[in-house]
Amino acid sequence: MSLFFIYPMFLLAANSFLSNKDTSEWVGFHNYIHVLTSKSFHQTLLNTVNYVLGAVTLELAIGMMIALMLSTGFKGSNVIRTLMLTPLMISPLVCGLVWKFMLNDQFGILNVFLYKVGLIDTPQGILWLSDSRYALISVMMADIWLTTPFMMLVLLAGINGIPQRLYEAAQLDGANKFQRFWHITLPSIKSVMVVAVVLRMIDAARTFDIIWVMTQGGPNNSTALVSTAIYKSLARYNQEGYASAMAIIFMILLLGICSVFLKYFWNPGKKAS
Amino acid sequence: MMLHPASHKLVMQRFILFAISFALLCLFIFPYLYLVLNSFKPPGEVISSTPTFWPTVFTLENYIAMFDQLAIGKYFGNSFIASALSTILSIFLGSLAAYGLNRFQSKISTVFLLITLGIRLIPGISVAIPLYRIIGDFGLMDTQLALILVYSSINVPFVIWMMMGFFDGLPKELDESARVDGCGMLGAFMRIIIPISMPGLATTAIFSFMLSWNDFLFALLLTSTSAKTVPVGISEFLTAYNLDLGPMTAAAALFSLPVMLFSYFMQKYIVSGLTMGAVKE
Repeated sequence: MSLFFIYPMFLLAANSFLSNKDTSEWVGFHNYIHVLTSKSFHQTLLNTVNYVLGAVTLELAIGMMIALMLSTGFKGSNVIRTLMLTPLMISPLVCGLVWKFMLNDQFGILNVFLYKVGLIDTPQGILWLSDSRYALISVMMADIWLTTPFMMLVLLAGINGIPQRLYEAAQLDGANKFQRFWHITLPSIKSVMVVAVVLRMIDAARTFDIIWVMTQGGPNNSTALVSTAIYKSLARYNQEGYASAMAIIFMILLLGICSVFLKYFWNPGKKAS
Repeated sequence: MMLHPASHKLVMQRFILFAISFALLCLFIFPYLYLVLNSFKPPGEVISSTPTFWPTVFTLENYIAMFDQLAIGKYFGNSFIASALSTILSIFLGSLAAYGLNRFQSKISTVFLLITLGIRLIPGISVAIPLYRIIGDFGLMDTQLALILVYSSINVPFVIWMMMGFFDGLPKELDESARVDGCGMLGAFMRIIIPISMPGLATTAIFSFMLSWNDFLFALLLTSTSAKTVPVGISEFLTAYNLDLGPMTAAAALFSLPVMLFSYFMQKYIVSGLTMGAVKE
């Protein structure tokens, strides 16, 4: 384990200080300066932030909605929950392929549907994957489809763990549905929610397969996330030092954001009662 | 039959809830269903500019073409061997480590746990760079061993994390009584702890298997011909056979089907595994 993780990390850190052309030449922080001042890195960072925020927010919202509905335990809710798991175990690669297929410019079924309903004028109305305005939204849709079931399951487990008497007490006090959600459900599942959100944020920020299959970071770098940028500079342009520096900066940012998040929102000791 | 007004309202409410969640369910099932249906369409119809949901005729042409173009059976074998062996290896190492960490609460075990969690945060792509070099130096490029080792090291931290939770729930008196009865440390672990934590091990094994089975990045980097896994094989339809989307849908559908059915049947384990990390306090 240490051979394949700790040692690579050291290599990675060491590489980030080496020249791209001659791997024995020590260039100090040159690669870092290069990364931090590069416009395309700013762009990928911005894309990544948009992607993570957009996808995770919607996943949380949709997941919460479904979880709340299923938690009422109406007839058939168990079957719906089981079938809802469909995307859960699908490989991100296949997910990317399916969506690439459905969003295709020539024969994508989504556009045909939108055309039939009358939302767009021609079946080619929205070039989901080749228009840089929509490409990031397209890859986000794929991610949302793939991982909302995870969110839903975790939230549902949290909601089901809330003692029923809390709701009964609130109802006696005259709290309406929304107040009950806001004052009982949300605080009770806060720590569950934070853990799920942090896990999803990490995974979304690291997304590679979906993007690589659907757009390879294009068009015009509009869907280039840090992970695809690292892969590209490594595999296409052979810039090991540059790619390593990018990876290190990315990791530090990710660790920083996650720890801030956990520190401020996660207090497992304090349970709402 | 007359319904009481209040219960009538309740029935309506439930029906609306059912309708909304059913509609959402359709949205979530649609993409995969569409993929599967497409795999049974004639190849030309798959890329027709007027796509339909149902195939006009059901045919296995795409599946036949897929077997012609790809050594798909071999890729499935590779995928299975790499996932299964790495799962066994990481379950073995990970549960031993978790047991040790859990039973000897000390500063060192906290440090280990922090490292373990830290590894979870590292983007795969950033380890992939140096890993590529190391595997090359060992001469393991394009071998199953490389994939097994790499998947195991990804999964071990995960296994430790999951199993720590399970072992937490087992009273220490259990292994103490085993020791009194003459078991060694390892004997107590193998004979008492492992059998009791079978459900936990099963859950963890499912997830670790999935992680390896679904991996694309490492397989893409570390294999080229002889150890190639299914995801890498499927991805080749995107470049070399760009217009052969029919066989691609067949391969993708076939690749996900076992996993999907499995997830329905093993639902109980999967739900407990997913929620364990987050829900337990």
